[in-house]
Amino acid sequence: MGKFFRRIGRYFREGFWGVIRHGAMALSSASAVTITLTLISIFLMFFFNVGQFTNNLESTVLMQARVDYECDKACEAAILSELEKLEGVTNIRYSSQEEELEFFISEYDADNDFGYREIYAGQSPMHAAYYMEVASGTDLQALAVKIEQIEHVYDAYYGGEGVVKMVDALDSVRYGGVILVASLSALAIFLISNTIKLTIYARNKEIAIMRAVGASNGDIRFPYVIEGILIGLLGSLLPVAFSVFGYIYLYTWLGGVLLTDMLPMIPPHPFVLYLSGGLVIAGMSVGLLGSFFSVSKYLRWKR
Amino acid sequence: MLELNNVSKTYKNGVNALYDVNLKIEQGEFVYIIGPTGSGKSTLIKLLDGEEVPTKGVVDVLGINVGKLRHSKVPKYRRNIGVVFQDFRLLERKTVFENIAFALEVLNEPNKVIRKRVRQVMNLVGLDDKGNAFPAELSGGQQQRVAIARAIANRPKILIADEPTGNLDPLMSDEIMSLLEKINREEGTTILMVTHDTVLVNKHRKRTLVLEAGHLVADMTEGGYFSHG
Repeated sequence: MGKFFRRIGRYFREGFWGVIRHGAMALSSASAVTITLTLISIFLMFFFNVGQFTNNLESTVLMQARVDYECDKACEAAILSELEKLEGVTNIRYSSQEEELEFFISEYDADNDFGYREIYAGQSPMHAAYYMEVASGTDLQALAVKIEQIEHVYDAYYGGEGVVKMVDALDSVRYGGVILVASLSALAIFLISNTIKLTIYARNKEIAIMRAVGASNGDIRFPYVIEGILIGLLGSLLPVAFSVFGYIYLYTWLGGVLLTDMLPMIPPHPFVLYLSGGLVIAGMSVGLLGSFFSVSKYLRWKR
Repeated sequence: MLELNNVSKTYKNGVNALYDVNLKIEQGEFVYIIGPTGSGKSTLIKLLDGEEVPTKGVVDVLGINVGKLRHSKVPKYRRNIGVVFQDFRLLERKTVFENIAFALEVLNEPNKVIRKRVRQVMNLVGLDDKGNAFPAELSGGQQQRVAIARAIANRPKILIADEPTGNLDPLMSDEIMSLLEKINREEGTTILMVTHDTVLVNKHRKRTLVLEAGHLVADMTEGGYFSHG
């Protein structure tokens, strides 16, 4: 066991010193990591926020079915059971005539509500209504027609085509984002493994010496792999700082929303932590893979 | 301890480097291998340290059939052999001490053992006070001593020196020769020295193998290159 830890300790020490001794090369590899991780970070922020917008908009696609004035409790229950049978309809909520009036009044300022509350006390002019959420991808127009055909439904109403189009647009933005992040990550791995390959190629003399004194493949490979991980870690520091401070700054600057209240941003608190964790892990694994592949490739050349 | 039986080597590109070489070297011998460029000296060394595999015949070192060694077993085998090169091959970013210690670190020895042995070999090669120097701060002769110290640090049975004096002036060459003789004497290491410095060979007479165009043309136990003519 002692021998094992001694060996591991040596690998770490060699890897650590490797970064320092080949500072310029380590720095150039790390900056490749930094640039790509920063780009990835920007796209991830964008991507998750767009996802958030879409979810938010989708859940705001509410259908409202207004009920005839003469419909009593039994009639309302019949409408409810009809609505429940419809496909793609969830979370049906009932709002009485009085509640509808309250909602209507609450749209006005308290000191400028024309005294509606007094005027209509006890005799609300509003229709009682059912509100329901509609699953995304549902044909809203067809659904509205179906609902209007239910007996004692006065009319059916939804937010309009604009919302639906917006959701569709954001969806395609999101798919584009996935493709962009994926190709960017591939580019990062290629760039980093290339840089590390170069640094290792430059050190084939070192590897030849290690071979000459009888170092096994593991003895040669591990310090380089640890070096690669450290370079990846080093390269992810700036993107992490950028993500944390940049996102928090952006969030406070924009007041937590993009343009309108309809597009709220993801609150920074757990989000930036996950994002940074992801970036650090991405940097380290890219460094690990890059150095592992490039050393292994060189090791196979020689006996 | 070292035996070559009917060894031939043809490289993949069709170059014939060695023809039917038979050779036997005993423990503790000091042997020169001489011959012109392209005579197969380098190939012979590569066969001995396991870098190349013979096309025909058997290379037997310390009872190990080197040509049949699996890829993964080569590093461990190579620890039996110290190699010194003409161009020293020191790690430039490491100090003299670290360069020598490196050979022991791959054996995974405890640090205390490593430090003790490194000081011992530094004393043997006469570089006691250069431990913290970097290779670039040393003269060619001193760098070659570091390389020799590294090669013998893990007490190999065989030390192969490939043109160790090739980059050095005659005075320094003499010093390196004396050092190799001292290692041969004090550590009991078998030494194979490849050279084409005939002056040196004639001055320090030892068993001499002559390679020409891949054939072992002479094996003179008396030594001296021109003495056989």
